[in-house]
Amino acid sequence: MKYDASFQAVSASRRAFLRGAVGMVSATSFSSSLALTGSAIRPADKTIVVTFGGGARDEETFAEEGQANIPNLLHTLLPQGTFFTQVRNAGILGHYVATASIVTGVYERFNNFIAQPPPNPTLFEYFRRELRRPETDAWVIAPSNGFQKIGSSSARGFGPQFGAGVILPKRLLSAASRNTPNLFDNDQLQHFLQDNYEMPSYDISATAQDNEMHLDTLESTLRLSVQDFVQHARTLDSADELSIFIARRLMDQQAPSLMMLTLHDMDVAHSGAFSLYIDAIQRADRLCAELWKAVQSHPEYKDRTTVYIMPDFGRDADDDPAGNGFQHHRTGSAMARTTWLLALGPHVRQNTVVDRAIESIDLVPTIGCHLGFSTNSPGRCIEELR
Amino acid sequence: MTPDQLQPSSFDLYPPLARSFAVEHLTLLRQLPLTICPSFLAQISDLDTRFPIERKTLAWQCDSLAALPQAKRDALLAPLRAIAMAPELEKLDWVNSPAAFVERLSAHLWSTGQINGFHDASRELFAAIPDQPNEATRLALIVVGQGADTSRASILSKLARKGIRLNGVNPATAQQQLLEAFAKHAAKGQEAYAHWYVDGGQPWVLPESVRASAIQVSYPQLSPLRKRVLERMQSILNTNQANAEKMRSDLAAIAPTELRSGQVASDPILQRFYTELFTSGSGTQIFSTSFVQWAGRELARRAQPHTVLLRYTPRQRHRGFNEMVSDPESKVLDPEGSLVDAEMDAYYNWIEMGRIAAPGKLTVLAWVEGSSKAVMVSPKTKPNTISNQAVTIEQALASFAVV
Repeated sequence: MKYDASFQAVSASRRAFLRGAVGMVSATSFSSSLALTGSAIRPADKTIVVTFGGGARDEETFAEEGQANIPNLLHTLLPQGTFFTQVRNAGILGHYVATASIVTGVYERFNNFIAQPPPNPTLFEYFRRELRRPETDAWVIAPSNGFQKIGSSSARGFGPQFGAGVILPKRLLSAASRNTPNLFDNDQLQHFLQDNYEMPSYDISATAQDNEMHLDTLESTLRLSVQDFVQHARTLDSADELSIFIARRLMDQQAPSLMMLTLHDMDVAHSGAFSLYIDAIQRADRLCAELWKAVQSHPEYKDRTTVYIMPDFGRDADDDPAGNGFQHHRTGSAMARTTWLLALGPHVRQNTVVDRAIESIDLVPTIGCHLGFSTNSPGRCIEELR
Repeated sequence: MTPDQLQPSSFDLYPPLARSFAVEHLTLLRQLPLTICPSFLAQISDLDTRFPIERKTLAWQCDSLAALPQAKRDALLAPLRAIAMAPELEKLDWVNSPAAFVERLSAHLWSTGQINGFHDASRELFAAIPDQPNEATRLALIVVGQGADTSRASILSKLARKGIRLNGVNPATAQQQLLEAFAKHAAKGQEAYAHWYVDGGQPWVLPESVRASAIQVSYPQLSPLRKRVLERMQSILNTNQANAEKMRSDLAAIAPTELRSGQVASDPILQRFYTELFTSGSGTQIFSTSFVQWAGRELARRAQPHTVLLRYTPRQRHRGFNEMVSDPESKVLDPEGSLVDAEMDAYYNWIEMGRIAAPGKLTVLAWVEGSSKAVMVSPKTKPNTISNQAVTIEQALASFAVV
């Protein structure tokens, strides 16, 4: 593939940046002998996957000029985990289809803008079917319309009976606004109800295949009244903060073993406003740290949870004439296809940087080989995280 | 139909200039594979309302490709010919609707994993085209920071790494001297569409000497077009089927006449250019900063100006997307965020002008409005240097600009 040299350049740059940024990080290339890391520690039995919907580039994160935007990832989380500098996404760089590819471990090829269940089995279905887990044990928290069908696939032998529950916090809030208009006496919450520039609000017909949580089950699932939900939303600044609130509520009330959430605020970059994109990166950085702190202080999660943080892909390079810099991810160039993965958990080696290339579709088989279920993904189990 | 079946009559529905150009280059067009021929036709079919330099550039590209030895041209086109096409694509009317075809082709290339191969092959093809003669000296003047706290030492840092940071600029004379510098540079060449002033807010007054030769456009001036595009976006949103792809393709299909663009410009070339700033740009409809950056980018790509003055002013405060579409007239501005936007945008404007400038022929000066801070990048500046010396804009240009 002609992009190899470019990918390596992206990775090498990120590694150099990290050396400068966090001297304590041991820039170790792993050998295959990793047994010592896992054998002494009880395998984690809870998993949280955090994706950034809308990539964040090196320039605004791990490069020297971007490090001020990610103090928590850089100085708090990275020293506690293993950081993969080179994650390639060889698929379609659209948010829904890319997220679907991450959760199936297969580069999906369907139309990014038509909400549909992925054709290949999802992580959640593999997990629940093979480990015989109850339906309350796997959840997805996603930002946008269109994501309500991501909890399960249309694959034969799988499907909603094995899928994850899906929560779209913005849609819940929207439903609350219709059901309880007296709680929405001004425009204070309107900014939550809109989707972003690249994914404006549109209506997707619900089907029996959906596992989306609706307002009428808010109280039974999250032990949260509509009124309290709305009141809490009033204290928040963004949709990503709302997603983290829901995640923590789920942890408290359902303690699921497998949870995935997508932070999506940074995709405001499509509007061309660099400051808003930076604000969203800084917010995601803070929210990741808050989530990790919540994990480490939660009796059900502390010391038994692996957290994977990974942007779905990058964004276009400044100097690519086919794009418009940070604004989009349309060129398919190395910068747009390359991202990173940070893993934290009791079986994950701390303070470690891995340079070899992995792929975004490796995450599903990696979680599978760690938790003990098989997958049909063409991706590979990441040995360093087994 | 395949490209080798093209006939002069295939272009009967094209406007006169486009038809003439297509017929003139028919031999080349017939040799192009279906993966690339419609891209050429998309440019050719609009030629009547493209800038003269775009016509010249397209002719240069076509003539250069036609002049390649047959074996070399075949070798360059082979990877494009090898791309697997879906049968339904081949049935589309790619001659008369080439842009729609290109959009469908792009989706096909992504979904079949052939996009990188296509990009590689396209790059190879265009790399075989020699550069056009390019002797123009270019000047880009950029103004940022109106209404914001500009005390940060790191202001314009990305651009400053490429040149010299001037910390002693006389703010009292800076605006006037920038305008005079614009006029002086524009006076060097009288080519049409070569000198542009784009403002995100209420524009400054250009010197009398340059008003006839320079084109001045502002965000408020194009407000009628922008509002009509926003109305169209609102109607798309109201369908509840407004995914981003549909939004983009529906906007791209809007013709200048549909927006009554004659209200803002009598020149059909400008009507098209102004329309497309809002129908092909992302964020231009809601943020003045995005508008100025995109205008600068599109000017560089299309009009290849010799002189530009780009002034960023505060955009509206961010709200929900649908809210900004339905209620575009917010008076609540975000000067601090706009400055951060404009710092990045100025850097992009430098990159974009650099793409069209001959080596050693570009000067960029960015002034932080109302302040003593500016950055200059030219062949005479050293990267990442700082000067705290008291200086006027006129003196700075005299010292560092390419003449």
